[in-house]
Amino acid sequence: MTILNRAVRKTVSSASEAPGERASTTVRLTDVTHEYGTGGGFRSRRERTVTALRDVSIEVDPGEIVGLEGPSGSGKSTILHAVTGLLVPTAGTVELHGTDLTTLSDRERTRIRRRHVGIVFQRFHLLSSLSARANVALPLVQAGVPKSARRERATALLEEVGLGDRITHLPSELSGGEQQRVAIARALATDPDVIVADEPTGELDTATGETVLDLLTDLGRDRAILVASHDDTTLSVADRLITLRDGTVVSDGG
Amino acid sequence: MADDRERRHTRWLGIAGLSATRLWKRTVRTRSGRLVATIFAVALTIALLLLVTGIALGLAEGGIATQDDADVRITPEDERTLSAVDGVEEPNLGATNERAETISFQDGVEHASPVLAEPVRLETADGESETVLLVGIVPDDEPRTVAGLSTAALEPGDPHYADGSYDGPREGEVVLSRTAAERLDATADDDLTLSSARTDGESPTVSVAAVDEPAGGDAETPVALVHLSELQSTSGAADGELADRILVWGDSESATAAATDAYPDAGIESTGDTNPSSLFDDGLAFATSVLALIVGMAICASFVATTMGMTVNEDRATLAILAAVGFPTHTRLGIVAFSTALTTICGALLGIALGVVGIHVVNAVAGATVASGAVAAMHPLFVPYAIGVALVSGLIAVPYPLAVAARTTILAEVER
Repeated sequence: MTILNRAVRKTVSSASEAPGERASTTVRLTDVTHEYGTGGGFRSRRERTVTALRDVSIEVDPGEIVGLEGPSGSGKSTILHAVTGLLVPTAGTVELHGTDLTTLSDRERTRIRRRHVGIVFQRFHLLSSLSARANVALPLVQAGVPKSARRERATALLEEVGLGDRITHLPSELSGGEQQRVAIARALATDPDVIVADEPTGELDTATGETVLDLLTDLGRDRAILVASHDDTTLSVADRLITLRDGTVVSDGG
Repeated sequence: MADDRERRHTRWLGIAGLSATRLWKRTVRTRSGRLVATIFAVALTIALLLLVTGIALGLAEGGIATQDDADVRITPEDERTLSAVDGVEEPNLGATNERAETISFQDGVEHASPVLAEPVRLETADGESETVLLVGIVPDDEPRTVAGLSTAALEPGDPHYADGSYDGPREGEVVLSRTAAERLDATADDDLTLSSARTDGESPTVSVAAVDEPAGGDAETPVALVHLSELQSTSGAADGELADRILVWGDSESATAAATDAYPDAGIESTGDTNPSSLFDDGLAFATSVLALIVGMAICASFVATTMGMTVNEDRATLAILAAVGFPTHTRLGIVAFSTALTTICGALLGIALGVVGIHVVNAVAGATVASGAVAAMHPLFVPYAIGVALVSGLIAVPYPLAVAARTTILAEVER
């Protein structure tokens, strides 16, 4: 597995962005504010905006599991989207290994995301027409990894999450827990430095959720992990809890 | 640098493979109705295009006088220098009766007959007369089609020829086309008198053996079939045993070889060799095929644009997932374009198969009802033509699915 990880890391990293030794702080959000604009319509002169984040500053170190808690609309998912580069906040900086994502183009952010971030969604978001192995190998396609290496890596990851006998199954032929395990394997495909998980057990029963969390924390060791959830059991795996309310951090380290 | 190029190459290979796998699995395993509908829409349009083009090509292949079911035709080379006044007389073949008989005896040849076409005035017992294009042939036991008419009603053989002496007994039979019969007001068993400027005071009489509906070609021209030597005697073509052409039935290769032996300098045309360039020589056929091309392309492009646009619209979540796992915009659009092209090509291949089946069905139905031979022609060039048309249609259509894909809001989709 270590050899495979090294091979993939060599392929997906470029000289300009090679993480080399993992930096002391993997993720740093500084004074991040984000407003969602809603068009006021034809007759309205003012555009109405909703503030999702207000002056949020967070740091996540390698090997640290950070839990984000708070009610719906408190800004948990917005922080995760900012870390993945899917969203550029209105103000503040989002650094990944010292690179400020807010100054990069969409294409550059996509490249950083592919190389350094793995995402686990609440609803798995697997491609229904691809097998479990093809889903896991998906990020490696864009990385330019040869087919045989992609297959080898995906098969090894599926074996690690306990789905060695399901590699050719379509997502519709897998249970919810199995689909989320495939999603975790996919998130690990490029050996990322950061894993973000948005309600990773939200669609699963308690026992299956625990298995998935064990896998996530076990396979994600040495990486920075951000988990957003409403569920106390899910958040109990975190080394540090950040509580959010109305877009602001009300406690960090609880 | 070389490493980068290799990685880019591997990436695009992977993306092409990913698109193809997705398309295959969605069609076969998850049975995406929309994709199947797109493939069938393209297939039907291409099949229709090939069918119309095939009929146009069939139409361009010849008029009523050349409407026959022979396998090989021997025609004189068009040597204009033989005639002092251009267009006065078409060149003829000589010694045709004897050489056609020789060709008939060759292995693989079923039958060979000279064909002479002469405008002759036919007169009924009531004194009504009409100029009819009389076509002289040597019939055999098998019913053949010459000048669009069946030879079945004529007695086999040509006894009047009598080894070139032209003094054998006359059969005195004629097969009239429907138009000729109507103009002469003649029916079966009526007697008609032949009169020609070249007849030396002799006016032979023929009896109507049958009235036939011409197969294909120009149904308006009054034509009639008679025994060759009787027409040669009447028209003065007996000297030199002249004929316009010789038709050969049988195995195409053997017939061509026998024809080349008999007439090394003549033009030999195998009817199996459909020539698509004949489309350009026939105004109506050309216009029909061009119209079919424009309509086919417009319909094909509209179908592809609409159905692929709808497919991409349904597939926004997939595009968002691809973005989330690190596929940049240009790659995602590349996947949409590649899927559209691949769907169109699949449709084109199915359309070619359906088009070939359609041409066979049309020929079978026409053969059983109104025509004696093929009305639609097929040519190997139809395959690249159909794929080319489908690809151009796909290119015209692709901006719409691309626009739909480009409008995808990634966050909205992944949060759904």
